[in-house]
Amino acid sequence: MDRNKITKWLKEPAKMANKYSLHAIYFCTGCGIIEIPPVITARWDAERFGVIPAATPRQANLFLITGYVSVKTLRAIIRTYEQMPEPKYTVGFGSCPINGGMYWDSYNTIKHLDKYIPIDGWIAGCMPRPEAIFIAVTHLWTLIDKEMANGYIRYRKNYESYRRNQELALGKLEWPPLYKASEEPQGNEQ
Amino acid sequence: MNKSLKEKIESTFKDLKVAIPEESRIAVTAENHSVLAILRFLKDAGFNHLALISAVDWIEDGFFELCFILTSYMQNNVEYTDSQRLHIILKTLIPREKPQCKTAIGIFPNAEPYEREIHELFGIKFEGHPRLTPLLLEREYEIPPFRKDFDTRKYVEDVFGNIPSVENNK
Repeated sequence: MDRNKITKWLKEPAKMANKYSLHAIYFCTGCGIIEIPPVITARWDAERFGVIPAATPRQANLFLITGYVSVKTLRAIIRTYEQMPEPKYTVGFGSCPINGGMYWDSYNTIKHLDKYIPIDGWIAGCMPRPEAIFIAVTHLWTLIDKEMANGYIRYRKNYESYRRNQELALGKLEWPPLYKASEEPQGNEQ
Repeated sequence: MNKSLKEKIESTFKDLKVAIPEESRIAVTAENHSVLAILRFLKDAGFNHLALISAVDWIEDGFFELCFILTSYMQNNVEYTDSQRLHIILKTLIPREKPQCKTAIGIFPNAEPYEREIHELFGIKFEGHPRLTPLLLEREYEIPPFRKDFDTRKYVEDVFGNIPSVENNK
């Protein structure tokens, strides 16, 4: 262990533990998932960075959205995201979740994913190389250190707007709201 | 083999055109009402695999074109050379005002998902299909989205462009 970081560990043990053990949910959408098997296996070995795949959303706290999001997939993404325990981090992957990418005029593809769920970081490219994933992970560490990876807090805060956008895209949602309006934190400005 | 099959089809059915656009391809253009009979005939002739049903929107001529692509499983055997592996494309035109066709499920059961997809994306109704329920799409469209008169850009601006972004509102 790096000696210089001992004070940091003692000061904020939970944050440091969070940083170095990111559990990425197995969620395949679009073409970017083809980059994930080499990333998590021997060739690039994401475990060097503490990233390990998790089988279910309730065991994961890193959500990689790996490609274009069709309207039907958005429903699954929202349900998966809402099941993940906090703190949770979302990374949009490739140009399609950012602004639609090559599907910018498609009739059935979500253009801006950050209108529906909060995103902590983006990886640009079509497709990003596995190295870009590690750069994103190290950036995410910095963001967690500075408490800027606060997507789950923003989700709680702006839940009504997010839910309204989700209903605009998907029609009526068949699950109840995750947070009630009364639960909305008032003085918890981050 | 191409030639003999072509003559066989032509002698059995009237009112159809058989062309050989290239080696190992046969294109049959038939009337709408005789499609099922031709499919049955070709299945009996050994083409027992319906590989694909697809549709084309010829909006200027006012027709939908349905394409049935048939092959044979036996052709994957080693004794067949590449030139003997034959694909048959059966084309038929459906008027755009009344997009209806009889289902081919009775002959090829695997036609079901193809017909559901075409029904959803082109709005062609298949008579006798047991469940023409949505397959791929999540929402209702006024015009089925694969028709040529569906304006995707306008649709995208109307639907996705009107959704406000959340974080910039602050």
